[in-house]
Amino acid sequence: MNIDVQHLAKLARLHLDDKEIEKFGRDMENIVAMVEGLPDTSGDASGLDPEHPMKLREDVISTEKITREELLSNAPKMQAGCVVVPKTVE
Amino acid sequence: MELYEMSASELSLMLKEKKCSSEELTRSVLSRAKATEEKVGAYLTLCEESAVSKAREVDAKIAKGEKLSALAGIPIGIKDNISTKGILTTCASKMLYNYVPPFDAFVMKKVNAADIVVTGKLNMDEFAMGSSTENSHFKKTHNPHNLDCVPGGSSGGSAAAVAVGSAVISLGSDTGGSIRMPASYCGVVGLKPTYGAVSRYGLVAFASSLDQIGPFGRTVKDTAALFGIICGHDNMDATSADREYPDFTAALKSDVSGLRIGIPKEYFGDGVDESVKQAVMDTVRELEKQGAKLVDISLPSTKYALNAYYIISSAEASSNLARFDGVKYGFRAENYDSLTDMYEKTRSEGFGDEVKRRIMLGTFVLSSGFFDAYYKKAKLVAMDIVREFGEAFEKCDVIATPATPGTAFKLGENMGDPTKMYAADICTVTVNIAGLPAISVPCGKVNGMPAGLQFIGRKFSEQTLLNSAYAVEQLTGEVRPVNV
Amino acid sequence: MEYETIVGLEVHAELNTKTKIYCSCRNAFGLEVNTQICPICTGMPGTLPTLNEKVVEYAVKMGHATNCSINNVCKQDRKNYFYPDLPKAYQISQADIPLCEHGYVDIMLDGEEKRIGITRIHIEEDAGKMLHNDAFQGSLVDFNRCGVPLIEIVSEPDMRSSAEAKAYLETLKSILQYIDISDCKMEQGSIRCDVNVSVRPKGSTEFGKRVEMKNVNSFSGAMRAIDYESNRQIEALERGEEIFQETRRWDDMKGMNFVLRSKEDAQDYRYFPEPDLTTIYIPLEKVEELKKTIPELPNAKIKRYVKELGLSQTDAELIAENLPRCGLFDECVSIGGVSPKNISNWILADVSKYMNETGKDISESNLTAEKLVKIINLIEDGKISNNSGKIIFDEIMKNNADIDTVISEKGLAQISDDSALEKIVNEVLAANEKSVNDYRGGKTNALGFLVGQCMKASKGQANPAKCKELVLKYLNG
Repeated sequence: MNIDVQHLAKLARLHLDDKEIEKFGRDMENIVAMVEGLPDTSGDASGLDPEHPMKLREDVISTEKITREELLSNAPKMQAGCVVVPKTVE
Repeated sequence: MELYEMSASELSLMLKEKKCSSEELTRSVLSRAKATEEKVGAYLTLCEESAVSKAREVDAKIAKGEKLSALAGIPIGIKDNISTKGILTTCASKMLYNYVPPFDAFVMKKVNAADIVVTGKLNMDEFAMGSSTENSHFKKTHNPHNLDCVPGGSSGGSAAAVAVGSAVISLGSDTGGSIRMPASYCGVVGLKPTYGAVSRYGLVAFASSLDQIGPFGRTVKDTAALFGIICGHDNMDATSADREYPDFTAALKSDVSGLRIGIPKEYFGDGVDESVKQAVMDTVRELEKQGAKLVDISLPSTKYALNAYYIISSAEASSNLARFDGVKYGFRAENYDSLTDMYEKTRSEGFGDEVKRRIMLGTFVLSSGFFDAYYKKAKLVAMDIVREFGEAFEKCDVIATPATPGTAFKLGENMGDPTKMYAADICTVTVNIAGLPAISVPCGKVNGMPAGLQFIGRKFSEQTLLNSAYAVEQLTGEVRPVNV
Repeated sequence: MEYETIVGLEVHAELNTKTKIYCSCRNAFGLEVNTQICPICTGMPGTLPTLNEKVVEYAVKMGHATNCSINNVCKQDRKNYFYPDLPKAYQISQADIPLCEHGYVDIMLDGEEKRIGITRIHIEEDAGKMLHNDAFQGSLVDFNRCGVPLIEIVSEPDMRSSAEAKAYLETLKSILQYIDISDCKMEQGSIRCDVNVSVRPKGSTEFGKRVEMKNVNSFSGAMRAIDYESNRQIEALERGEEIFQETRRWDDMKGMNFVLRSKEDAQDYRYFPEPDLTTIYIPLEKVEELKKTIPELPNAKIKRYVKELGLSQTDAELIAENLPRCGLFDECVSIGGVSPKNISNWILADVSKYMNETGKDISESNLTAEKLVKIINLIEDGKISNNSGKIIFDEIMKNNADIDTVISEKGLAQISDDSALEKIVNEVLAANEKSVNDYRGGKTNALGFLVGQCMKASKGQANPAKCKELVLKYLNG
C-alpha cells in the first residue's frame, strides 16, 4: 500500500526529515500488516448505547471563576489580554 | 524501622496515636526521596516546602482531634500527567516543560480534601506513551530491584517511588497497562479501576476511552484505601459513573473459598515467559487449596487486542495531542515565519519520537478513506472482546493472568523496536478495551525480579479484586521498600 | 445559452442559552476579551466537555419547527483541524448522526410558495475570534466565543436564485425568533452562512461543480455573493472554461470572492466519535413535549391570515414578520367582535407608528388587546369616529387613560357628530312644533325644553353644548 507519510505529517502539523519519513513509513506499513490480521467482522460500530445515556448538564452559569491572568498565565505570548500568534491571512 | 518503610495503614494508626507526626513522616519520605533520587530517578518535581507545610496543617488538625480521612497525613506521589494547581505538570514532555495548571484534577481535589500530603510529581513515559518510562524527555527512571532494569511504564515513577519508599502511596494512570505493568515490574500493588469509577477530569488525556487513574501501594490495604478516596461520581466528566462505593478497606477479606478463578489459556501461551506463568499458576493453586475453584476459560479475541488497542489509542491520541500547538501553553518554537511554520516547528521540537509515531499512526487511521478499514474495524474487535469477557464472567468471578509477559527488561533493550515494546502490553490491553477493573499484585520473584499476578473482574467489582489480591498478599507477605 | 443557478445554504445560528455548550461559562456577546472563559473552553490539558441540556432541547425545537425527523439517539464527533481560534484543535460537532434531519420549510416569494428541503440540523461549538490590527505584530486570539452553542442548518440545493435564498434566510430567521432560541443579531454574527453555488444549462437535470463561499455575514451580502458567483461561473462557462470544486472567500466590501482553497488541498477533518461524551438520548415523550412548545410559525400564520381572516398577502406578511405585532393581532382576533382587517390596519398604522417613534415594545406600553378591540368596536358600531379613535389611542399611550372617560371628557361620542345630532334635532323639533313656535314667538325658555328633549332622545349620549348649538342654528335659520 502506498501511504503518503508527508501528507499525514502535514495533517498532524509535524515537520519530518527524510529519515523520519522513512522510519514512520515503515511503522505505518507494520500497522497495515497488523490490521490485515484483524477479523472481517461487520456490524454497527457507532457505539450508541441508549440504555446508558449521558447525563446532560443543567444550563446554569458557574460561580467558580478563574481570572483571565491565571487562565492565560501559561501562554507563550500575550498582548492586550489576548494570546498572540503569527499573523493569520485575512 | 524508618517511617518511610511502613505502610500507610500502619502509619495512619501511629499518627492517630500520636506516635509520630505527619511532619516527621513527610520529612522521612522526602529524605528517602533525596537519598534515592540519583539512583532511581522517580521524581520530576519534589515539593518539599508545600509537603511540609501541608503535613504541619494535618498535625494541627490531629492535635485538635478533628475526624480525618484514613490517609490523612500520609505522603503521596502523583504521576506528572495529573493536573496539580500551581505545581508543574509536564507529562514528561518538552512540550509542557513549564506548564503550571491553573486548576486541580478531580482526584487532586479528593486527595487534598483527604489531607494526603503531596510530595511531588513522578516520572513517566512522555504523555503516558510507553512501557518503560524511557520515553520521558527529562530523565530515566530505574527499577529499584535492579537499577539496570526499567521500572515499566508508563507510570514508572509512580511504581518505583512506592517500591523504593520515596512515596508511601502514589497515583498513576492506565491506558493499556500503564499501572499494572510497572506495579508488576517493581513488585508493588497497582489497581486499574473500572472505566468511569475515577473521574478523568484533570488527567491529561492520552486515549480518552481507555484512560483511567488508579492507585499504587506496597500493600493491598493501602491501595484499597487510596482507591476509596479517589473513586466517585464527578459531574465534570460525562463518562464518570454515578454510583455508590463500599468502604473497600473495611470489607477487605482474604477468604477465597468458593471464589471461581478463570484461567484464560490465551494469556499463558507463546510469548509469555515460562517462569512467569509458573509463578502465577503456583499462586492460584495455593488459592485453590484455600477453597477457590479454578475454571478454564477462553478469550479468543485476545490475539487481536493489541492491534485494536494501538489503532484506537493512537487515533484518540492524535486528536487529544493536537491542542499542543504553542499557542496557549507550554513550549513554542523560537524561530518561525508563519502560523503553519510555528505549529510544525513547535510540535516537531516539542514531542519525542514515540509521541510523534503515535500521532502519525492515529492521523493515518482516521484519515479519509482509511477510517472504516481501521478505526471502525478496531471498534468491532473491541465489541467482540467485551462480549467474550461477558461470557467468561458467567463461568467465573475473577480472571487470573500474568500482569506482564516477562519481568522487567534492561534499559535500552527494547528502545529500537516499537513492536517489541508494544508486546509488553499484551496481558493488559484487553482490560482497558473492555473498561474492566484489574489489579496487579506481587506473586514472588522470577530470576531475582518481581513477577505480578493480574486479577481481572467484572465492572465495578474492585472489592472482589482487592480481596483476591489480599489473599495473594497473605501468601507472599507485605512488601517493604527495597534497598538501593 | 440560458443558465439556472443552484443554491444550497449552511446556516450557523448561535443559540441563546445561558451557558456555553460544553462548560458553564456565560454565553454572552460583546464583553471584554478573554473574560468569559474557563479551563474547558480554552482547551487546557485534562479538561472535559459536558453537554448543556438546553442546547439539545433548542436544536430539537428547531427540528420540529422545520418538519425534521428527530434522531433521539445520537452522538457527537470530533472534527479535527488546526487554527488558533480553536483551542482544542478539534471542534465537537456531529457527523453521521445529526440530531435532526429530512425536514423542510416553505418560503414565499412574490406570492408563490416554494418548499426548501432541510438536509440536517446538528449541534456544535463556535470557535473564538481572531483580532487583527496593524498596531499588533501578530494576530490576537479572543476565546470568549469558544464554546458558544451553534446549530448548523443544512439545506438541500433547492434554491434557484439569490432572491429565493434571501427568502429562505428570512424564513429561518423568523422561525428562530418565533421559537426564541437565537437572538438573531446579524451585526453580532449570531447568524452566519456558507453558500454553495453551482450553475447548469436550463433544463439540465445534472448538477454542475459546486463552489462553497465562506464569510457571508448578512442576508443582503448572501444575495450579492450568490449573484456574483453565479455570474462568475456562467461567464467562465461561456468562455469555455471549467468550474472547479473549491472554497472561495466572499469579500462584501469589494463585492468579489477569492479562492480560499482548491479541492486538492481540501481539509481532511478526520471525524471520529467524541470519546469524552457518550450517547445522547432524548426519551420520545420529551421529544413530543418539545413539539408541543412550538407556536404557530410565520408561514402558517400568513396563510391563515390570508385565507381565514381575509388580510392581503402584504399585510399578513407584515403582521407575521414581527413577533410582538402578531402576538397582539392574534390576541385581538381571539377576543373577537371586530373585523380582522380593521385590527390589522390599526396595528400596521397607529400601533407600529407609535412603536417606531418611541422605540418601545408593545409589552412595555399601556396598550392591551382588550383596549384596542374596544376602540375598533366603538368605531365599527358608529359610536365614535375614526379620528376619535386615534385621539383615544393617543390618550391611552400617553396617559394610560380610561376609554370611556376620554370619550365623555373630550366629547368624542359619535353622537356629537353634526350629522347624527342633526338627525335627532330634526326629529325632536318635528315632534315639538308647539315649543318651536313658542321659541320663535319670543318664549326663549322653550330652548331649554327642546335641548332637554334632544338629550332624552339620544339617551344622554349627545353633547349638550353641541346639541344646543344645533337647535339654535335650526330655530334661528
